[in-house]
Amino acid sequence: MRFGRPLQRVLALAAKETTHVRRDPRTLYMALGVPAMMILLFGFGVSFDRDALPLAIVDQDHGEASRRLERAFVGGGEFVVAARPGDPKDVDGLFRKGAASAALVIPVGFARDSARPGGANVQLLLDGADANGANLALGKADALAQAAGVGLEHREVRGSPPVEARIWTRFNPSNRSALFLVPGLVALILSMVTVMLTALTVAREWERGSMEQLFATPVGRSEIILGKLLPYLALGVVQLLLVLVAGSYVFDVPMRGSIGLLAMMSVLFLLGMLGQGLLLSIVTRNQMVATQIGTMSTMLPSMLLSGFMYPVENMPIVLRAVSAVIPARYFIDGLRGVLLKGNGLAQLWPQVVALTIFAAAMLVASTAAFKRRLA
Amino acid sequence: MNAIEVTGLSRHFGGFKAVDDVSFHVGRGEIFGYLGANGAGKSTTIRMLCGLLTPSAGDAVVAGHSIARAPEAVKTAIGYMSQRFSLYLDLTVEDNLRFFGGAYGGSGRALAVRIDEMLERTELGDHRRDVTGALPGGIRQRVALASSLLHRPEIVFLDEPTAGVDPTSRRAFWRLIRTLAQAGTTVFVTTHYMDEAEYCARIGLMVGGRLVALDTPAALKSTWVPGRMFNVRLPGQAAVDRLAARPGLLGLEAFGLGYHVRLASGADPRTFFRPDEVVETVEATLEDVFLAAVATPPAACATKG
Repeated sequence: MRFGRPLQRVLALAAKETTHVRRDPRTLYMALGVPAMMILLFGFGVSFDRDALPLAIVDQDHGEASRRLERAFVGGGEFVVAARPGDPKDVDGLFRKGAASAALVIPVGFARDSARPGGANVQLLLDGADANGANLALGKADALAQAAGVGLEHREVRGSPPVEARIWTRFNPSNRSALFLVPGLVALILSMVTVMLTALTVAREWERGSMEQLFATPVGRSEIILGKLLPYLALGVVQLLLVLVAGSYVFDVPMRGSIGLLAMMSVLFLLGMLGQGLLLSIVTRNQMVATQIGTMSTMLPSMLLSGFMYPVENMPIVLRAVSAVIPARYFIDGLRGVLLKGNGLAQLWPQVVALTIFAAAMLVASTAAFKRRLA
Repeated sequence: MNAIEVTGLSRHFGGFKAVDDVSFHVGRGEIFGYLGANGAGKSTTIRMLCGLLTPSAGDAVVAGHSIARAPEAVKTAIGYMSQRFSLYLDLTVEDNLRFFGGAYGGSGRALAVRIDEMLERTELGDHRRDVTGALPGGIRQRVALASSLLHRPEIVFLDEPTAGVDPTSRRAFWRLIRTLAQAGTTVFVTTHYMDEAEYCARIGLMVGGRLVALDTPAALKSTWVPGRMFNVRLPGQAAVDRLAARPGLLGLEAFGLGYHVRLASGADPRTFFRPDEVVETVEATLEDVFLAAVATPPAACATKG
């Protein structure tokens, strides 16, 4: 038997780590079961899509044309008639009660004007308190009115001053939020679960006392880090495939860009997250503490500061600065770019660079923080 | 050349001197026992010798390499079995051996053969596929020993290898250690079982971080507990006080139900003891040495050690 071969040592560690996982079904459940469950729960549960918006119709013309326009609005299921007040002034009250979130005012002479070359105008009132809902309603109403050949003049009540919007949605024409959410979900789930996988592994060796035995062998610290990283990277890749496949089958997320680029960004992101878990595990030497910090440091930033739900551009400068060091942000950008837009490296190189820097920083920091001596 | 050569080795943790200026050497193929109470500095010494802890002062040459300057070279040449038999309890015996063999760079056919050999030598063949955590302490201890020997180290360090193990297993374990030493492996073992210490060729005695005595078990006994020893049943505290006042008494220690009384070589036991005192002659044990060493102030120890 020959000794002093780093590759053998890394492989021995990786094999041992794999056996740990095989013997502890909880790790597999966490690595594969939790992500699958999360993507289904989040994918179905969290949706910004609004169907059947309650619409108040103030018909002051009472003609055949009015009824045609009403049918156009209600027929597709986007809106349902919630009330028919006689006076536009009553709309405010309906908004306050929450009985309607939009109101369509059809003025006197609508039927007459529709017949003229200039066309007719109607008014759309929106409840701006729910800005998100108001925007969706506007978008839908605009499309419907155009189709019906009617000019739409809209006004947001309780919100910002009137805006004229010409909406043309590319890449996600039906405005389905799943398409927008799934890439974010993939990043969120991967970051939470992956950090957890490695957060446990080094701390566990400290807690059980096996670290001392490991240090007594010639295995070097970078070998320990590599040996611990490789099996979990493999598990992370399986996890990623699972989540992506679930996303594309269940929610019809397209795959418009290059699989190679997607794979590269995913591996970089996984390495960064695994590295973060290792760093926590090395620094805290305590499974419980490492897990808690791991959850806190991934879930909240990935959810709130990554652009998953709220656009980074709209954040105050301080939060934008914080979000600049959150890898999930770049991964989400990258995923959306590849999956929805079919972007290539030409557009996504900044994301690739950011993910590379994060992964390298985490691995270097882990190795540096890892003292191979006991005190 | 000696297997282990220690000079002025110290380790301080803040103001606490866990190991204080210790020097000794261990010959090749020797079974060297390291004795001391908990906290006396045994584990700290062993960790420094294995390259796990940096010495605060002094150095040691272990298997030809300096522990201060080349701890990595030391690690490849030695085997170490830590206090808690740090095995992976969720893995099988074979998994553990394969891992530790790989950690020392072994692989493939050669490692498989070596594992078979070690399993046979430590009589663990039947437990090859058992999950380590389900095995009793005595068997785990043999697995830990086997895993520290896979890479054929010149020296093996065993830190309290028999702690919490039943007497039969302890006996079997020491048979293994003797076979090992006969084959040329140097064995450095810490223990606080005094009966086990008798198996060692030489013994170092640690008290409060200092090496207060180092010799063969027989020599330690004659140095530290000279004279003849008797076991005496005394009826009460008054009888103890009376006996303590008699001339010719060297030592008096409570032992079991009675007392161990040591007499100077000149004193005649027939006149020393009173007829109502039940007396039997006993051999001094290392426990007596230990008690005498712990009771002696450090300055006096230096002259004896």
